[in-house]
Amino acid sequence: MDFILSGLIFTPLLAALVVLLMPIRLQKPMKGVALLGTLVQMALSVLLYLGFDGAAPANGQSGYQFVEKLDWISFSLGSLGRFQIEYFVGVDGVSISMVLLTGIVGVIGVISSWTITKNVKGYFLLYLLLMTSVMGCFLALDFFLFYLFFEFMLLPMYFLIGIWGGPKREYAAIKFFIYTLVGSLFILIVMIGLYTSVIDPQATAWQMNLIGQGMPADANVILQVQQMLQQGVISGADMVRTFSIPAMMEPANFIPGSLLHVLSGVTLFDLPIRFVAFLLVFAGFLIKVPSVPVHTWLPDAHVEAPTPISVLLAAILLKVGGYGLIRIVYPVFPDAGAYFATLVGGLGVLSIIYGALCALAMNDLKKLIAYSSVSHMGFVLLGLASLTAEGVNGAIYMMFSHGIISAMLFLVVGVIYDRAHDRMILNFRGLAKRMPAYTAFVVIAFFASLGLPGFSGFIAELLVLLGSFSAPEATGMLPRWLAMVAVIGILLAAAYYLWALQRMFFGKYWIFPELREKANIFDLDRREYLMLVPLAILALLFGIFPHLLLDKIGMAVTGFTELVLLNGQEQLNMVLSSIIP
Amino acid sequence: MEEQAAQLTQAINSIFAGAGTLLPEFLLTGFFLLLVTLDLFRSKTIKRLLPWLALTGLFSTVILQVIGPPASEGVQFLNLLRSDGLARYGSILFGVAGISTILLSLQNQKIEKRKQGEGRGEYYALLLMLVLGLNLMAKSVNLLMVFLAIEVVSIASYILTITLKEEKRAVEAGLKYVLYGTLSAGVMLYGMSFFYGLTGSLDYTLVSFWQSLLEANPLMVTVAAILVFAGFLFKISAAPFHFWAPDVYQGAPMPVVALFSTGPKMAGILVILRFVAAFADPSIAASFADIQLFLGVAALATLAVGNLTALWQRTPRRLMAFSSVSHAGFLLMALLAFGSNYTASVLFYMTVLLFMNFGLFLFLQIAEEEWQVKKLEDFQGLGKLVPFAGIMALLYLLSLTGLPPLAGFMGKLLIFSNVWEAYTSSGQTMLLVLLVAGILLTGVALFYYIKIPYYLFLKRNQTAENLVISLSNKLLLVFFGLPLLVLFFKPDLLLHWIEKLLA
Repeated sequence: MDFILSGLIFTPLLAALVVLLMPIRLQKPMKGVALLGTLVQMALSVLLYLGFDGAAPANGQSGYQFVEKLDWISFSLGSLGRFQIEYFVGVDGVSISMVLLTGIVGVIGVISSWTITKNVKGYFLLYLLLMTSVMGCFLALDFFLFYLFFEFMLLPMYFLIGIWGGPKREYAAIKFFIYTLVGSLFILIVMIGLYTSVIDPQATAWQMNLIGQGMPADANVILQVQQMLQQGVISGADMVRTFSIPAMMEPANFIPGSLLHVLSGVTLFDLPIRFVAFLLVFAGFLIKVPSVPVHTWLPDAHVEAPTPISVLLAAILLKVGGYGLIRIVYPVFPDAGAYFATLVGGLGVLSIIYGALCALAMNDLKKLIAYSSVSHMGFVLLGLASLTAEGVNGAIYMMFSHGIISAMLFLVVGVIYDRAHDRMILNFRGLAKRMPAYTAFVVIAFFASLGLPGFSGFIAELLVLLGSFSAPEATGMLPRWLAMVAVIGILLAAAYYLWALQRMFFGKYWIFPELREKANIFDLDRREYLMLVPLAILALLFGIFPHLLLDKIGMAVTGFTELVLLNGQEQLNMVLSSIIP
Repeated sequence: MEEQAAQLTQAINSIFAGAGTLLPEFLLTGFFLLLVTLDLFRSKTIKRLLPWLALTGLFSTVILQVIGPPASEGVQFLNLLRSDGLARYGSILFGVAGISTILLSLQNQKIEKRKQGEGRGEYYALLLMLVLGLNLMAKSVNLLMVFLAIEVVSIASYILTITLKEEKRAVEAGLKYVLYGTLSAGVMLYGMSFFYGLTGSLDYTLVSFWQSLLEANPLMVTVAAILVFAGFLFKISAAPFHFWAPDVYQGAPMPVVALFSTGPKMAGILVILRFVAAFADPSIAASFADIQLFLGVAALATLAVGNLTALWQRTPRRLMAFSSVSHAGFLLMALLAFGSNYTASVLFYMTVLLFMNFGLFLFLQIAEEEWQVKKLEDFQGLGKLVPFAGIMALLYLLSLTGLPPLAGFMGKLLIFSNVWEAYTSSGQTMLLVLLVAGILLTGVALFYYIKIPYYLFLKRNQTAENLVISLSNKLLLVFFGLPLLVLFFKPDLLLHWIEKLLA
């Protein structure tokens, strides 16, 4: 279990290398290698989930398990001291859920890709690269490493949509690429600002010869270094600047006089510069979430992407946005997180309502589901903004649950598209007559998604709403009307799902005449069962036994909310006091 | 009389004392003369040997610089040249650029096949002369010497541009280049004469030079500086002196274009770096705010013009011309981050730029000669027919954009970090504007760089010709590509070395 995290990240990469070396005509074995790679990754993620100790205390800065830390890049820039980048991975309650989800969906995606015939080698190569970078994103604790994986997701995705996609694939691919790249450039600015401002107390202690090289520093030494830093007695050449995310969470590690220090007093556009940094990196992840008003790339990407890629996109890639908010944005800038809670929650509610209204208006079943994703991701923002334990638990639960359910939804759309080469809601009627098993799974997926009790979606929505309702008393965040408006979103979800269900599946069997020639309507085959049954079971399992996941993430969430609320209030006061002379 | 004799002896002695550090330059001159002489013989064998001879010359200078004696800090040749670590690393870069140019030329059919040896000697001899000029640019610490070195480079460049005399475009490009070049040289010389008049010295690295400028009329100083910078900015193709770039890039042979996009640009940056080094002292910098403002505006304009104009280009050569303008902008921006030890970052960025540009120009050369690609649309579907070349092109283009996991990202990260540091310590709004513009224009850059992979992979081609690339080309594509990966994952290997050379 020592290198299980590296195993998780690099197994798909290894499989990709094997695929790369295989001659082009061995298409079946290539699929086998890809399946094997993702199966191993899933097995490792399940092992990790079982081995993860959910009861161990965690407070955001420590409490990571299965940590691997290696020196990677280190160079000095004269009087600016040394810069250090580490291969630093670890897992806590927040990432464990995402890792499990990635493992499961990765396998489902490969099974769903079994029918790919065009350029199989390139397809699976890119697919496996994508799996490596997504997993790396969820496990990285070094900002540079995180950014590397975050950016590297773009490229495989661009080609997967752009080469294997639908008729307007080129437009959708470039739109996806540009949107996400702009987002990641916002993140880059803040990353540069952070790593030039933050030192690693441990390595600085080594540099100053306070303790022997390679000796672990105890809490006293760390405290001593931090005090010396704040008093300004450490010379620039001794400072070891770091990309480590846990180090960035501690205000005591910021170099006095650096712009992002809480007491810098620097303002930009009349906002403290820390707030500006928060808004930038928040916007960067918001594009990935995606939230209204930067969501417009998502429907295009989904509609044009082939089914398995839609599944990956909805089930795991979108989660990177929410995950980034929880892992980086809030813990590093808790002051601004507290200050902008209403904005974040407001954007969440806006996404919930606007996404649902758009879904209601769609005629294309895939677009409907894409907009329902926007709507559901709004709950993640709302739960997070409440900063209550319930709300944040709910946000993470929503990410996990949406991962399972949206994978199912996109698979279901893929099934009808395979049969009829069309997915317009109005072109079908009474499908239940000809495809009873298929209809059953559609019903399960729709009901799970709209939050029927017994399914995981219900738990998630319940927790988020509980959290945001109690937020005004518990944490002083969010006005109460926000939570009330969010409830309307659930009603709208019921409306668009049930309406679609009624129009497409019930009544007398009929399909649009022009489709009849090419369409070949038959019920689910074995491969499709293989994908849909496990997902349905998981949605039920996590709906009936929520403690399966909540036990693992609970401590991390408690640590997170305490860190953000306590530090946040304290730092907010410091920031505000430093700009008013 | 005796006094004069003593001075003369001293001067001669100092020349002899400094001669050792100029060994690479002597070697280049020797090989240049050798090539010119051998070109007089009509023997085919000798003609065939010429490029390899030039290669040997360049190779030995690079080796000499890498393993040579430690750099001396002293000023040689009557305060004209300085062979310090900066110059040494610079001349290694120029040597590698020269070698790469010859390797590209050997693959270039227009240069190699059509001329059947005619004019071959002069082509390779001029390459050596150009590299010699670049070395001198990097070593000069005296305005007059800078001017001479730049002129050596320019004259070699003019002739190299019209290597393919029978092509109309080449002649047009050459003419435009000469006109712009001589004009900017004249303007630069005019500015230098102002400096001489104001200070009585041409040695701009001396503190006394800047001290006496402090006493002069500030407007006069600013005007003189802008005139001098006109010449420098012309060499690095920075706005507003970049107008020659697209035409020359369109008309000159591909290897020469690759050299122009790296060699003279890097040397020009080193000259500017030495020139503005005095501003690292805040007390001096404060008195020359106008010059810094001018440079800041020039950097911003270069970034904006390069990146935004590249969006509208239809041919790969013009696209690369504006891409090279934009890289000049990034380098200029780094030079303004005073007080943040940017030298190592700049040298790192230039090293990366060297490999990316040569790699991509090699790809463009293959595409142009083997697959008749003249416009961006002609790349349609080629990625599927020659996946290897397509993937290598993708690698270079992503590195040029600055995406991980490629060294272009590291280069940009280092430069942005320097600018952020400088902004933190000085609080100059201009630096923040430059930083934000640089980062956002990187997003714009993706939009035009991705056009080539877009046509290569996303668009489909109806014809199913069988396209092949020669093994030597494949190896070269890998040769230029590997450093981009290595320098991303282990940039400290190179940075430590640079650090050691500069120390």
